[in-house]
Amino acid sequence: MFKKPVNIISFLLLFVFAILPLALGFSFALAYSFGLIGALNKGFTLDNWSALFESNDVIVSFIYSGWLAIASLTLSVVISMAIAIIFHKKFTKGIYSYLIYMPLAFPSIVAAFFFAQFLGNAGILSRIFYQLGIIDKIQSFPNLVNDQYNIGIIIAQFFLSLPFFTLLYTGLYQTERIDEYAQLANSLGAKKSQSIFRISIPILLKKSFPNIVMYFIFKLGAYEVPLLLGRSSPETVSVLAVRKLQKFNLYDIPQGYAVAVIYTIIILSLLIIVLRTNKNEYDI
Amino acid sequence: MSTIFKKRNILLWLLAVAFLTPIITLFYLSFSKDWRFPAILPEQFTTESWRYLFFSGGNIGPSFVISLVIALSVATFATLLGFITSKYIAYHKYRKKLLMLTYFPFALSPVIFALCLKFYFIKMSLTGNLQGIILAQLIIALPYSVIFFTGFWNQRIKQYEDLVATLGGTTSYAFRKIVMPIAKSLILVCFFQCFLISWFEFGLTSIIGYGKVETLTIKVFQFISEANIFYAALSCCLLILPPVILLWFNKKFIIQQAK
Repeated sequence: MFKKPVNIISFLLLFVFAILPLALGFSFALAYSFGLIGALNKGFTLDNWSALFESNDVIVSFIYSGWLAIASLTLSVVISMAIAIIFHKKFTKGIYSYLIYMPLAFPSIVAAFFFAQFLGNAGILSRIFYQLGIIDKIQSFPNLVNDQYNIGIIIAQFFLSLPFFTLLYTGLYQTERIDEYAQLANSLGAKKSQSIFRISIPILLKKSFPNIVMYFIFKLGAYEVPLLLGRSSPETVSVLAVRKLQKFNLYDIPQGYAVAVIYTIIILSLLIIVLRTNKNEYDI
Repeated sequence: MSTIFKKRNILLWLLAVAFLTPIITLFYLSFSKDWRFPAILPEQFTTESWRYLFFSGGNIGPSFVISLVIALSVATFATLLGFITSKYIAYHKYRKKLLMLTYFPFALSPVIFALCLKFYFIKMSLTGNLQGIILAQLIIALPYSVIFFTGFWNQRIKQYEDLVATLGGTTSYAFRKIVMPIAKSLILVCFFQCFLISWFEFGLTSIIGYGKVETLTIKVFQFISEANIFYAALSCCLLILPPVILLWFNKKFIIQQAK
């Protein structure tokens, strides 16, 4: 196993930075949630877990996080796929091949701030609508930030993930030689729509499925965008965990760690499934 | 045909506007004052925010430097250590299992991960200081770097190394003269990506840093909480600039490599 000193160093690095933090963090959260450690805990108890599930907060939070991730991902996948199919040549060279990288330069917190300024009641869009005479007062503009339907969050997350999927699909369009397959289908009598829906989209979807699931996993833990653009209830998993662990009620801390335990188990299970089913390499 | 052509052009223009509007808006807001509804453009165009935050105690300059130091340190350590570790994983008989373990810390929400690890950071006196944040961010960036490089260590590289050994070259000679020239571009790309991971980080930094280490992302959040949109926009501009430059280099670099 360790024929060379460099292998020992490599293993130690892997252990210290990947395996150990996860094991320590998870065991700490697990022990805290069962009352085994912590200032106010008095020994093993299931009380924290039963108290957590007495209200629907945690279940709603997971469903809400999942819904937000699915909504923004669906939008990103559909639109980036359409861009790749219609404009694949435009995005491989020239000005658009640079422009597509722009949203990648945006940290989540900056994107959240921009969309709050753009979509808010007194935001840029509202002012444009006012100047065009579409609305007559600030209250007439629909709530698009901190709103019931989470439009602000979905648009911000869509903006952040669009370049990733557009680059992925324009790349796949070339490497999978989809253009050639589509031309072959067309020469054999298939309509353009048939070649898109029966060739291009199925190939792109199949090839990108592991990436879609990976992105879903990342979005499930989104923090900054829901924190700034979301409502106080329901909360995403990350926001709920931070609230329970960082705020003033010390009795909420074990429940916060229980949320972290559930989240970790769900994410790791999803990750194992996607990595096992992905027969190709796991490379980024 | 011409209608389709025009529709396509409109769509492309819309996309260009969508990509550029955020940057233009944030820069414009950073130079603005008095932006009352329903005016689309602010009433005053001024460099006041920039002057205040850089020269009159706004502390944005130190935050920029702190963010830069953290991001450069994280990117350097993560890239170098990731490059070494990835070779061990790539040629290991349990490659897939080890790679899966590497994915775990990278896939978890940084803020939840930080909350679970905070206790250990407090015990090691690594909260509220620069070292603690660099170490915490390395826990996210290093696995990314390892995953990034694992694909590089393929059979072709191994065959080159074996060939050098067969011809009498040492391991370090093969590394310097064969591996490094081939890996050069990937190392640079990985460095950029790790820099961005660190530069963008907010949740983990706020938990481990306790708000005492004021990186740019922490500053943006402070200004947003204070409803100071002009200072927040300025901080956002400073946050966006390095990634835009790096991504441009990255893109240029990739294009040159492809050619």
